[in-house]
Amino acid sequence: MPPSPASLTDRAAASDAALAARVALGDADALDPLYRRHRSQVYRFALLWSGSPAVAADVTQDVFVHLLTRAGDFDAALGALAPWLLGIARNFVRRRFAVPESPVADTDLPATLAAAPDAAPDVALVAQQDLERLRRAIAALPPHYRDVLVLVELAERSYAETAAICGLELNTVRSRLFRARALLAQALALDAGDAAAGAA
Amino acid sequence: MNTLDHQLSALKDALAAETPPTATDRAVAAAIAAARRAPRRSSPPAADRWFVWPLALAAAIGALSFIVRQAPPDVVPEASAAPSASFMPVVPREELARTGDAYVMPARMPRMALAQFGLPVNPARAAEPIDAELLVRPDGAVLAVRFVN
Repeated sequence: MPPSPASLTDRAAASDAALAARVALGDADALDPLYRRHRSQVYRFALLWSGSPAVAADVTQDVFVHLLTRAGDFDAALGALAPWLLGIARNFVRRRFAVPESPVADTDLPATLAAAPDAAPDVALVAQQDLERLRRAIAALPPHYRDVLVLVELAERSYAETAAICGLELNTVRSRLFRARALLAQALALDAGDAAAGAA
Repeated sequence: MNTLDHQLSALKDALAAETPPTATDRAVAAAIAAARRAPRRSSPPAADRWFVWPLALAAAIGALSFIVRQAPPDVVPEASAAPSASFMPVVPREELARTGDAYVMPARMPRMALAQFGLPVNPARAAEPIDAELLVRPDGAVLAVRFVN
């Protein structure tokens, strides 16, 4: 029997925790409002992390199918649903790129970032060029730096949420963010220098 | 705001309207429809039968007395009685589907309540309460319960 319009309205207004609890109890329709609420930020996170719209779309689907079958794993007492979903998205996207979850020492900072791939030749606007260069530079960051940069700077997660999502200490999040920004600035400066040299 | 902050902010703005493609929307909708059709493994007790809870409590007390008489406390370790990790329904699924808004509320219950859900109880700790979370409707009706540490 399809749900009544009134119950759909109520469902749309329910809290994330209540909806997740109902999904866990077998009310699959409770996933729909959760998907509408959180799909965009999950998709954007995966897009920024992977640099690929196709991968981001697949990861988004994987995250919500996972929620459908494992909603009972979510514990509202430990935090909000959005960071929990981003943590799952992070695991799925890392798995696609075969990035191990093994601990990484912060001393593993590369001397320079690997050169980003060449820009598309037909990008017309400078602003678009800058954004594309930034996206490529983010996608070229080592995964453990990319995690914190995307979560804190672009997904607007707090340091504490980022630490919980990545399983890190708060201070490690701070130091990795600092290094990620330094690498990014370095890569963009190098890239801009190359572009200027190429134009001369 | 320095240049990098400015560029990151511009990127964030540029992506603000990005959403998954419609193919992803359709795939998730199909997963929901498939889950809706999937049969339930067990049916929960009816909530409108008011006598179920007292009877269940009496049965739990009886079972607990039997356990206490039959076995010394150290034979039933609490570790084997892992509290449930997910919500257990106390109303029929149809009623859950009909229910609109619902809230998660912390609660403290007699440890004997574990027995009502088929979970083992350590008689040595039977007098201690156990923390739980209740999924409740705005009118106060309990829809599901989850035991936490």
